[in-house]
Amino acid sequence: MMLLEHHAKELLSQAGVRVPKGVLVTGAQDVRFEFPCMAKAQVPVGGRGKAGGILKINDASEVLQTIERILGLTIRSHPVRACRLEALVDEATEAYFSLAFDADSGTIRILIAAEGGVDIESPEMRAKLLQAAASPAMAPALAALETLLPSLAPALRGPMREVAARLIPLFFEKEAVLIEINPLFILPGGGWIVGDAKILTDDNALPRQPELRALIEEYPMLYPEAALKLAQGFDFVQLDHQGDIGLVTTGAGLSMQLVDEIIQRGHRPFNFCDIRTGGFKGDPSRLIQVLKWVSSGPNVRAILMNFFAGNTNLAELVPLILVALENVPELRQKITLRMTGNGLDAARKILAESGNPIHAESDLERAIDRVLADAQEWQYA
Amino acid sequence: MLDEFLAPDVKVLVQGATGRSGRSQTAQMVAYGTNIVAGVSRRDDPEATIPLFRTCAEAARETGAKASVVFVPPLDVLAAITEAIGAGIDFIVTVAEGMPVHDALKAKAATRDAGVRWVGASTPGLAIPGKMKMGFLPNVSLAPGGLGVMSKSGTLSYEVCYRLVERGFGQTLWVGVGGDSVKGTRFADLIPFFAADPATNGIVIVGEIGGSEEEELADALIAAKCGKPVFALLAGRSALEGVTMGHAGALISAHIGTIETKTAALRQAGAEVSPSIKSLIEAVSHTMAPA
Repeated sequence: MMLLEHHAKELLSQAGVRVPKGVLVTGAQDVRFEFPCMAKAQVPVGGRGKAGGILKINDASEVLQTIERILGLTIRSHPVRACRLEALVDEATEAYFSLAFDADSGTIRILIAAEGGVDIESPEMRAKLLQAAASPAMAPALAALETLLPSLAPALRGPMREVAARLIPLFFEKEAVLIEINPLFILPGGGWIVGDAKILTDDNALPRQPELRALIEEYPMLYPEAALKLAQGFDFVQLDHQGDIGLVTTGAGLSMQLVDEIIQRGHRPFNFCDIRTGGFKGDPSRLIQVLKWVSSGPNVRAILMNFFAGNTNLAELVPLILVALENVPELRQKITLRMTGNGLDAARKILAESGNPIHAESDLERAIDRVLADAQEWQYA
Repeated sequence: MLDEFLAPDVKVLVQGATGRSGRSQTAQMVAYGTNIVAGVSRRDDPEATIPLFRTCAEAARETGAKASVVFVPPLDVLAAITEAIGAGIDFIVTVAEGMPVHDALKAKAATRDAGVRWVGASTPGLAIPGKMKMGFLPNVSLAPGGLGVMSKSGTLSYEVCYRLVERGFGQTLWVGVGGDSVKGTRFADLIPFFAADPATNGIVIVGEIGGSEEEELADALIAAKCGKPVFALLAGRSALEGVTMGHAGALISAHIGTIETKTAALRQAGAEVSPSIKSLIEAVSHTMAPA
């Protein structure tokens, strides 16, 4: 999970890393803070500045309108649900520090540079990055950093060493996947402070990371996907509020592929979903939940349910689907149920005997055709 | 040649053999032909159909098992791998979903240092169709044939192989490498085996956004000069940036691991990259003769 900047900075601050004073705002309200200050949209993607998500507030009279403006934005498909007001940082130079994995070699990679900023991804800037790999443990990582310092200007060595001494332990303690400080402001006189911070944590480690778990539980609206996964054990990502196709699907890869193919064919999937039939254990509540979500999409016109029963049994799944459908009476869209694999014949029989008008199809291509045709028809009905 | 990767009659033990999933999957693997010789569990199981041992070391010593398939909860996988290495096991498949990535890093270092092959962290496993499987690749998608298959996603590869099998295209070896960012066996690691195997006449890759595995794979294909047709399907073109789409490894950030970089690299290496499942099936059908 990508932490929002505000929470990343709170984590850094607890670890003794200096960050500008800031406050999180989740609704349009008049906030008391020091002015002038910056207002920054809290979304888990870059490019906030260009999208108008980072604005300066000069005095108290501008607070409300600035926050309202930022909270009304959608940045790279992420609706802005929170904003951080942050104290200004005095004149400083920008450096760069990051810790990440090298997934291929299984090592930790430390990257530092005397220059940072928004252009860090450019080839010229990347060429200037100093990097070292280390075995995934604290001591080798700290030693690897030392090998890089002689290549830096003397004035930068102290700050980098201080930053590393705090971030490397944090990386292991919180089981981070990425910590990137960019820019790291180097102040005249040798001080330093974090400008922006990106921390990617490991959802799989949440069972043994109580603080990160508590953060998600406190802010389910800001981390909806992680909150769902934590509370209910499956994935659902709303992709397009205006989407016309709802998906009730299992398997991350197949669900992603279906989203891609529906877009290729000129439609807009409302969501991504990996419902994990293996976790049903005879209980239809997860199906009911997902059917309610997709049917409530304001523009959803047809629903595709897709189940490839490789290790499950369709004859056990279909009765659950029938119960789930009864429990979502508000559902008005046509549904195509694509199912294939173990127990198909028995499942078909159960469905036919139920008299439910849901359309069953065993071929995926025909199922997609049918759903898109239903969506089209709805448009002209 | 694929015997050098894994011999089909290798003696396999099951770690976590008495859990709900471990027990039922063990029965399935036995039924499929896997030479399961032992189970390892801390508790007894009166219903067990294979000899049970308390430790891997004991099981390996008594039965001569050299491979292990691990059915323990995600937070226990690292300990299970460590135990298997200590017992002299040299091929490990782990299937639990949700192994923490810092654990995977440790497991990667430990298996590499010990010269042990690890397929995981979270994968549906692998199969030598018609002979054996370790894990739970579905039988409906398996058939002996000439395709070497490797996949990040379970479900998408089930669908692809199911439809290829319907058209008469089975597999020599299918390895689910998993959707994690840090994993034991990566796409590129498998290329030398598929390239050298005379029975493998084509390679199918089911990849997805995130990481740099497909890009490394492209380099490996070029280096191997295997001359076999390569077909790829890459999921996640429209994934939302900054959000985990089910698989931990399928998280895109900035310009790394996008469909564009992967497609370009694979095409450069001579692979045919298909935009849809249907077009991949057609590409295979047009290029190859069914087994």
